[in-house]
Amino acid sequence: MNQCPFGTGRTRRWIPWASIAVPTIGWLVFGLYPSLATIYYSFTQYSGLPGTPLDFCGLCNYRNAFQGSYSDFSAAIETTVKYAGGVAVLQIGLGLGLALLLKNRRRGFGLYRALIFMPQIFSVTVVGILFSMILDPQAGPAEKGWTAVLGSANSFLGSSTWALPLCILINVWMFTGYTMLVYIAGLRRIPQDVYEAASLDGAGRWRTFRSITWPLLAPATTVNVFLTVVGCLGEYALILVLTDGQFGTQTIGFYMFNAAFGQNPSLGYGSMLAMAQFALTLMLGGGLLWGLRRREVAL
Amino acid sequence: MTAQTQNLVGALRTGGLRGARSSGALGRALRTGGVQLLCIAVSAGFFALPIVYLTVQAFKPYIGFLQDPTGLPHPWTFANFTSAWTQGDFAREMINSLVYAVIPDVITLILGVFLAFPIARGYFKHSNALYAFFVFSGFLPGSLIPLFIEAQRLGLYNSRLGFLVITSLAGAGFFFFVGYIKTIPRELDEAAALDGCGYFRFIFTMIIPQMKPALATFGIFGFVASWNSLILPLVMLSDPSLWPVTRGLFSFFGQFQSQWPLVAAGTVIVAVPIIVVFVLLQRYLIEGVAGGATAGTQGVGQGRGAVAEAAEGE
Repeated sequence: MNQCPFGTGRTRRWIPWASIAVPTIGWLVFGLYPSLATIYYSFTQYSGLPGTPLDFCGLCNYRNAFQGSYSDFSAAIETTVKYAGGVAVLQIGLGLGLALLLKNRRRGFGLYRALIFMPQIFSVTVVGILFSMILDPQAGPAEKGWTAVLGSANSFLGSSTWALPLCILINVWMFTGYTMLVYIAGLRRIPQDVYEAASLDGAGRWRTFRSITWPLLAPATTVNVFLTVVGCLGEYALILVLTDGQFGTQTIGFYMFNAAFGQNPSLGYGSMLAMAQFALTLMLGGGLLWGLRRREVAL
Repeated sequence: MTAQTQNLVGALRTGGLRGARSSGALGRALRTGGVQLLCIAVSAGFFALPIVYLTVQAFKPYIGFLQDPTGLPHPWTFANFTSAWTQGDFAREMINSLVYAVIPDVITLILGVFLAFPIARGYFKHSNALYAFFVFSGFLPGSLIPLFIEAQRLGLYNSRLGFLVITSLAGAGFFFFVGYIKTIPRELDEAAALDGCGYFRFIFTMIIPQMKPALATFGIFGFVASWNSLILPLVMLSDPSLWPVTRGLFSFFGQFQSQWPLVAAGTVIVAVPIIVVFVLLQRYLIEGVAGGATAGTQGVGQGRGAVAEAAEGE
């Protein structure tokens, strides 16, 4: 501990505490407390409507998830994992490809990077409406193109086959710019002489990528995979606007939101789902981080 | 063949190949042209085209839309914007959005500095423990449901002031300025204190001006995130007169579902301020993200973390 130089005598002691008091209390009341209270509420039954009681019911919500509502619960987990996996694979692939293409400082490239980055500055409401319009089964350009090429109709976001893949693609559209920028930062940190040595050794393009670029990009890949997967495991706002969780797009986050604030609000069951989402994030996110870190060392 | 000769042969081979491939300036020009074309096609065609399409549709008369839903407007009209503006009550919602975005943003930044400064300097006992605790707390269960219950009990639900209190204080826990403040030499504190400068005056006149780049990056990201936020207003504000634009647009969309030109106009209205922010400040936004990767995965709990570290590293 360092002595605070400000103030005199007694004020010296409490000035630093006064400084952190308001933000710390705010964070305790509106950050830490609600987070921890989720654990407590997951053991209760409560509708949240004024005048209704809050009953402690032990493991009732957890039992419900594995018995009465098991099909919904397991479907939500499955959808979430598919969603996160699909987005991660596509976004990493596309982001890396674009990063390799646009990594140099050349004329026009700044504009291209900005355009690719742009979608994520929009609200999920804007993006959701935008793609609802494009994918409108009656009046959208996607329908026109689909019918012209394949001759059949498609209800896109209203189809149980296509809704989830389309949500995945829209998420990728929105956030690939971020992945790309992280990869570009990673690529620029690879020293040029490694490439010179490789080309002297006669390594071709693919070989250079396999043995130099990809391994040296491992830290960037760790960041990208981790952020993408953890972000997707908690996603529901975009899905709310696009499909309202229907047609097989109910992720665990959406299930939570809908249970708590939907037609028959059950804040207790919703809190249990928030806990389930937390457990899933901890397991997959933690597992990934552990694996990716080991990979960084190994490569 | 020894390794060395192998290398030599390899070098000769690629050298030869490269020579053959890029023989002549014409070939090189064609290749760069091809790359440029590909970049334009991807960035404009895949990423920007949907937004352009939406904007164009917003200028189409409704009758024209019924006749030809996907084509260009004929004639171009501004009517959708004026009718969306009044029917969607966007004027009031814009003001709400601005209030909800600016006030918590400023308060959060200032409180963040007040929190980070003594921690960075180690001016109180267990400051390291507190720092670690803040970092750790990023990895806890979601807090939306208890926050909703808490807001109802404290009378912060469905109130403008309540919403501002929650959004200003919930984000106050961010500790990311700590690393940045550590780069400001401590001798400055001591010199200022010797000259009789008070603690709070020192923070406002010395520390905050030094932190401009970090505060700018954070402020912009915070503003954009608040402006775009849909879920919190959806949960916390039931009275339409309190809604920000995103919440309002969501209802507007539900109300006029199939009148696409009108909905498109509303969407453009909501998106334009953010586009302006992006065009003016995209350098900060993009550098923020690019720099964020420098710090690796240390403490990257949420997207914000990476951005914060960008601010630190810059």
